[in-house]
Amino acid sequence: MNTVNAIFTRQMSALLRKEFLEAWRDRRALWMAICFSLLFPVLLAGSTIFFVKKHAEESTRLALLGGEQVPVLAQQLRSDSLEVVIVNEGEPRALLADGYDLVLQVAEGFVDGYRNFRAPKLYLYVDSSSTSAGRAERHLQERLGGLQQLIVSQRLSARGVAPQLLAPWQLQVRDVSTPSSRGALILAMVPGLLILTLFVASLATSVDTSAGERERLSLETLLLQPLPGWQLISAKMLAVASMGWLGALLAIAALVALMPLMPLAELGIQQATTVAGVITMGLLLLPLAMLVAVVQILLALRSQSFKDAQTQLSILQLAPVTLLMVLDMSRVELGEPLWQLMPLVGQQQWLKALLVGDSVSLPLVVAGSLVCLGLVGLFVALGARALRRESLLGAL
Amino acid sequence: MIRVESVDKQFAGRPVLDNLSFTVPDGQITALLGANGAGKTTCLRIITGLLRADAGRVLLGDIDVAQQPMAARRQLGVVGDREGLYERLTVAEYLTLFASVQGLAGKSLERALDAVREELELDALWLRRTRGFSQGERMKVSLARALVHRPRHLILDEPTRGLDVLAARLLRRTLSRLRAQGTTILFSSHVMSEVAELSDRVLVMAAGRIVGGGSPVELMRESGCDNLEDSFVTLAYGAAAGRPRQEEPA
Repeated sequence: MNTVNAIFTRQMSALLRKEFLEAWRDRRALWMAICFSLLFPVLLAGSTIFFVKKHAEESTRLALLGGEQVPVLAQQLRSDSLEVVIVNEGEPRALLADGYDLVLQVAEGFVDGYRNFRAPKLYLYVDSSSTSAGRAERHLQERLGGLQQLIVSQRLSARGVAPQLLAPWQLQVRDVSTPSSRGALILAMVPGLLILTLFVASLATSVDTSAGERERLSLETLLLQPLPGWQLISAKMLAVASMGWLGALLAIAALVALMPLMPLAELGIQQATTVAGVITMGLLLLPLAMLVAVVQILLALRSQSFKDAQTQLSILQLAPVTLLMVLDMSRVELGEPLWQLMPLVGQQQWLKALLVGDSVSLPLVVAGSLVCLGLVGLFVALGARALRRESLLGAL
Repeated sequence: MIRVESVDKQFAGRPVLDNLSFTVPDGQITALLGANGAGKTTCLRIITGLLRADAGRVLLGDIDVAQQPMAARRQLGVVGDREGLYERLTVAEYLTLFASVQGLAGKSLERALDAVREELELDALWLRRTRGFSQGERMKVSLARALVHRPRHLILDEPTRGLDVLAARLLRRTLSRLRAQGTTILFSSHVMSEVAELSDRVLVMAAGRIVGGGSPVELMRESGCDNLEDSFVTLAYGAAAGRPRQEEPA
């Protein structure tokens, strides 16, 4: 029995060595895995930094046409984010074309009308086709609204009327979101992208080790050896999974490394990912990496050619993101225990929680991972059967 | 000894092998001679267990290939119609892999590797990855893989195709040595000179059946021809096809 075990272990370790050497020496596949894995954290960090910077630096340029009549108005409107330039003459359209976001024209006789309480007119010119027009208009409306409220209060007070009479209530907005819930909103897409990384990073290796080997007839050489089919598929699956898992680990590491550079505080988010959280995320993705690998190998073995396998797997890699998006949009309660037993959904929910520093239920994680590993076993058995198909060798 | 007994095989309803029977004795080189499409490769694939026969059976010694595939594969060395190399592995890694999956380890593994390295003159290639190897180099490595576990039966599918003179000579020398050691060797070919030079026995195959068998001399005597090519054509396609054309009188 010991001799049989020794031979079995020797065969498996020789096969694993072959598959890992083949996978990790494939520079094209390795670069593809590394590049995609680093791409999305860099893009996420870059876009967050850009968004916050742009938001912080945004100011509105207002041309106050005829503003020499109302220097106090100009002074009251001015703020750090609203630049008011008094312009004596000019065409509003030309001024907008000249770089102003808005043109506020003071009507002739404004001062007299104001003093006599006749509600004189202000004309606001805006180019609604400009991307900054909406924001600039809202900005000015807020400033003018506040100023208008102040003047009304002063006028009523001067006449002995309590300003509160005009305001039956005061609305105060209080944000009850926690850093983790705000983080969940901003980082909602990250679990889906991490899962997508598994698919993309392992794609080239899975095609090469299955459809590629079949096309080069080196699969036939392996099938001539005294090896059970499940060993062949398992060795290939582990090598492919290692590539996908490497991609996901790199992406997680890059994301966590880039988090300090991201202006999360400005967005009201606390960085909550711990080292233990990162390690847990990596471990949670391992069964899924194996499942993705064996599904890719099975599909590639069923394909007609190397090119056909590439096409099929390229389509497959969109499936998880699409599925998760559909489930998210359909407002299904994915946090329910039963959903967490489903591969992809479970990992998505656990990653989401860990990314914002929440805890995950250990029994559910173990159960979900076991379901995933059970499916891996089933697909390995199907793969071993597929290796016995005569059509695999192009005989039919 | 390899025994093929009443083997039938069809692909999509088209018969490829039809009640095929023959034996390959130990310590001899037997050539399976046939035109393209005669069923040679299908026959070899059934012997190696890659394909299943629709009817009949194949025995390697006492082992039924379909019933005990693992035991059969331990007795077989196969050089296919493509080399089946892994281009990202060195020759040493490649041969270690196949020796290990055949159950060799430790000293016996080292001895087996040293033996094929010396016999097939692989020193210069040993630590090189197989990407970019010439056809002859690829064949040498492929043959080393088939021989590294010292199989009792060796199957080769058109082994000299694309080989240069030196590689073909090395292959012939190796096969002759293995024959002397008692290995059962079966190879397919449609190259007459190679068959005539290498084989002790020739099996002529046409339309999925053996239509003639014996030593090259016996075949020529049986067909009434003075060379192996004419003998093959006569046996495979009939006497009219095998007779050399006479010059028309002016």
